[in-house]
Amino acid sequence: MKITYQWLKRYVDFDWSPGELADRLTMLGLEVEASERVGQSYDGVLVAEVLERAPHPNADRLLVCRINDGQGVRRIVCGADNFSAGDRVPLVLPGYALPTREGEKSRPIKAGKIRGEVSEGMLCSGQELGLSDDGEGLLLLDADATPGQNLGDYLGTDEADTLYDLEITPNRPDWNGVLGIAREVAALANLELRCPAVELQESGSPCAGRIRIRLEDPERCPRYSARLIERVAVGPSPAWLSNLLSKLGLRSINNVVDVTNFVMMEIGQPLHAFDCRSLARNEDGTATVVVRRAHEGETFTSLDGQEHRLNGSEIMIADEQKAVALGGVMGGLNSEITPETTEVLLESACFAPGNIRATSKRLNLRTDASYRFERGVDAQTVDWASRRAAALICETTGGQLRSGAVDAWPEPPEPRRVSLRFERTDRLLGIRIPPEEQLAFLERLGLSRRSKTETAGEFAIPSHRDDLKREADLIEEVARLYGVDRIPATPPRGGTGTHAYDRQHDVLAQARSLLTGMGLHEIQGQTLVSQAAVGVSKLTQKAALENALSADMDTLRPSLLPGLLSALSYNAHHNVGSAALFEAGTVFPVRDERIVEARRLALALTGDRFAPSWTNGANPGDYDVFDLKGRLEVLLESLRIQGLQWQNAGAADSLFQEEGRLTLGKQIVGRFGQLQSDLAAQLDLKKAVLLAELDWDLILARQAAPRPFKPLPVFPAVRRDVALLVDESVNHRDILKIVRQAKPNFLQNVEIFDVFRGRGIPQGKKSLAYALVYRHPERTLTDEEVSSAHFGIVERLEKKTGARIR
Amino acid sequence: MEPEATGEPLSEADAHLADAEQAVTAAADLDELQKIRVEYLGAKGKITTLLKRLGRLPPQERPSAGRRINEVKATVEGLLERRRRELREAADRPSVPTDFSLPGRRLEPGRLHPLTLVTEDIVRSFRRLGFAVAAGPEIEDDYHCFDALNTPPDHPARDVQDTFYLREQDRRLLRTHTSSVQIRTMREQSPPVRIVVPGRVYRRDTADATHNPTFHQIEGLYVDRDVTIGDLKGTVSFVFREVLGKEVKLRFRPHYFSYTEPSMEIDFSSPVTRRMGREWLEIAGCGMVHPQVFENVGYDPEIWSGWAFGFGIERIAMIRYGIEDIRKFYENDLRFLRQF
Repeated sequence: MKITYQWLKRYVDFDWSPGELADRLTMLGLEVEASERVGQSYDGVLVAEVLERAPHPNADRLLVCRINDGQGVRRIVCGADNFSAGDRVPLVLPGYALPTREGEKSRPIKAGKIRGEVSEGMLCSGQELGLSDDGEGLLLLDADATPGQNLGDYLGTDEADTLYDLEITPNRPDWNGVLGIAREVAALANLELRCPAVELQESGSPCAGRIRIRLEDPERCPRYSARLIERVAVGPSPAWLSNLLSKLGLRSINNVVDVTNFVMMEIGQPLHAFDCRSLARNEDGTATVVVRRAHEGETFTSLDGQEHRLNGSEIMIADEQKAVALGGVMGGLNSEITPETTEVLLESACFAPGNIRATSKRLNLRTDASYRFERGVDAQTVDWASRRAAALICETTGGQLRSGAVDAWPEPPEPRRVSLRFERTDRLLGIRIPPEEQLAFLERLGLSRRSKTETAGEFAIPSHRDDLKREADLIEEVARLYGVDRIPATPPRGGTGTHAYDRQHDVLAQARSLLTGMGLHEIQGQTLVSQAAVGVSKLTQKAALENALSADMDTLRPSLLPGLLSALSYNAHHNVGSAALFEAGTVFPVRDERIVEARRLALALTGDRFAPSWTNGANPGDYDVFDLKGRLEVLLESLRIQGLQWQNAGAADSLFQEEGRLTLGKQIVGRFGQLQSDLAAQLDLKKAVLLAELDWDLILARQAAPRPFKPLPVFPAVRRDVALLVDESVNHRDILKIVRQAKPNFLQNVEIFDVFRGRGIPQGKKSLAYALVYRHPERTLTDEEVSSAHFGIVERLEKKTGARIR
Repeated sequence: MEPEATGEPLSEADAHLADAEQAVTAAADLDELQKIRVEYLGAKGKITTLLKRLGRLPPQERPSAGRRINEVKATVEGLLERRRRELREAADRPSVPTDFSLPGRRLEPGRLHPLTLVTEDIVRSFRRLGFAVAAGPEIEDDYHCFDALNTPPDHPARDVQDTFYLREQDRRLLRTHTSSVQIRTMREQSPPVRIVVPGRVYRRDTADATHNPTFHQIEGLYVDRDVTIGDLKGTVSFVFREVLGKEVKLRFRPHYFSYTEPSMEIDFSSPVTRRMGREWLEIAGCGMVHPQVFENVGYDPEIWSGWAFGFGIERIAMIRYGIEDIRKFYENDLRFLRQF
């Protein structure tokens, strides 16, 4: 909503400066989003009439003019050539300056001689006055401009002004007119609201004799009223009107349409003017305005020339044969006001917000009217707006108004009553505002007290404040007028909160700190991704959004891996080929054909295992799958996840060259592995890419209790190594299982320290070297004890796996 | 065995001492020093031999001769040790002094995402006030995201927040604010409630320097008996002083949200905003929980009152780190991430 300082001041006489007004409005809840200085004072700039023009005797390009400045005749030397005697042009008197832009110095015009000829002032171009870009010739004014009139008075921009762009919150439709804002300012400053008086000069015959209304859908249109103005002369608007509209950013169209727009900006009630002759006549000479629903499939051409196909939900203004307006949104081309119009049907009506919203959205047709109806207009205002506009149309077009109006309003709403217990205000605001003061605030806002006790009051709510529905709303009004900035802050108090998620937040923070400690950087990927990005991860996920913005973002990520891959790829394209990244976040996989939410934690490693340094040469080695597994192990052990199994699920149709699977019993905790090289190549990733994705919900559910402290060993340990030559099919896990089954109670630890293939090892075999550490908790072991236990284990390994000792 | 003359071992001892001293000083390395130790103090060393010969002295002379020889032995041991330390230190020193200006071998930690850092700072200050962290689903329904928050279908506020809907029969949506968690929490817990809710939210805004369809919000909700606007302002001031610095100034001005009444927007002012050429910068929305919202979750608004306030994490992070394009947060450029 745009208003200007001077315009607002016509309705309420505050004494704040433009800057102060902006602050006051903002603190009332009318946030000033922008303000700019507009308009211009034209001190010493007059309308002048050219009486005579003659060549300058001493200069080819100059003219010497005699002009009438309203008081007398002046001689002026002038460089322009686009005018003739009789034209009205702007004149700057000596001692006054041309308007300046910000930062420019003002330079008064001097009377003097130019090339020997006396010049008593300056005739100006539109550019020199800051009114247009045309600097070629003089600004030619209308022929009826009065010589001697101040140019500002002539233009209607008699004063410098400030234009404010206000953010109107949707609860306050009454602020969509300057009067509503004035009412608020008056309440705040405790000043009188100067509502324009409307005096209608109605000619004898009643409007109802020409116009009838048939309101078929009072739900979508609770009130419809019309007035008829005859003998209208459509033409340009007077300067005060077109200038104000142009300041507010509206195009001046003609004196009828401009009045309807002006009244809408003034009171917030959208109006529409029809050419009454376009309405079909009944046999008795009357025209019936039908307020009906559109027919399904009906087509309608709006004022802007667009044709719309309607689905039957729209509310239409029609005669008995055809629609003439898309009610509450836009008029029709067939009934528009034209220069030939002589009879104006002035509509002032109230339409239901939801329906207007739906129509305007569906037809993609947003107008100042639909904007206001969507937010709700006050049905009580309909008549005032109609009378105000009728009076102004008569004034500007010379038209004659038929007496009365036709007005269909089947069910005027009862005024709402709301009670306020004064002590509730104090309890909610945390300060004490005496009841009399609360009362005064509310009455200033137009609420009238119906009954009052010591502790409470009941108030009738004015119709323009439909947002005041219950006690809390009245408390807010008191707080606003009191000033929320005056309420002191009190220190936090009270007990502590609880929520099941609270602990999980800490676990996630712990995981983040473990991962950053291991050198991984955290990323945040987009939730909305493309089908292509999901496809690269060898996943399928349907585009989930009904109203996606673009195909780039039409799919909810089913996994964190597409985001990590795109981050790796982005970095590779920016010459960062090594990366260790993780993300913790929500993903949206499909389960039983329904999108569900799941939390995941994913890791990605690629490139140099250590940052290259002068100490380790150019190639410190690239990350491989055991770098990844090591980080997963540290992470999961630190989070106290026990009983994990690491399995190789092969490669069939996987993202990975071989898919590692991490399981807990029957549940899959995660997947990991090295990205298939053709996928890596697609993303321009040159080094091995290691990826893992963990089911964070499962991890949270399976955390073990903290383990108790284990006493430190007192007795010495004995280490025995063994190297086993086994078939490739024998896994480390198989060896561990056999060792564990052997269960000598003083075997403390088994560690693999070498896996070797190559020289001296037959094809299809590998050598696994283990260190077995023996330690008895209560005594020192003898050599024989250790040897016999160790021998037992080795023998068992040989028997069960066919291993040979190297 | 022939008894020895008294003076003989003593003068020998003095001679050995002088020789040893010379030899130790001349020793060039630890090996040489070890040889000297053996020559004098080894099992067959010169001084050891003297001690063995003590038995040949007349008994009355043995104590003083023994004392003297042991003194010599101790002195030689001292010389050896001192020289050993000198040689050890010399051996430790590289032939060329180490260039300590060379960079160290670093174990670089990973960094947290700036949005996480800001979120954690805010969560931490709320927790200091006794708030518990809460979370809720990102796929929501109209009820939790709008209806229960006093925003009926026709309400213009639903237009203000353009919403992504899922392509499915029951048309679930991506939550447009974290306020849906207020409803879920209050429906599950009886008052008092004190939660802080960080999380991702979604709006149908085309991505540009200040919009990303995905972004993060955090909000606080406090419900108790006799909670006032004063409490709201007190807590907001505490949190923003922690997050934006002690010198921050706050301004509350009336606004409109469907789920609070009264509602306010919060502007802040600090050296940072002044550097940006603005006295006040909008930072958060807040208000007293609307009684209709309490009724929707089954709380009696006559008994309970409360406040809620919420704000965008990206906005705070952009202000704090001077980041001008919100998309930077989602590009995950390591050159960016490593700076936090």
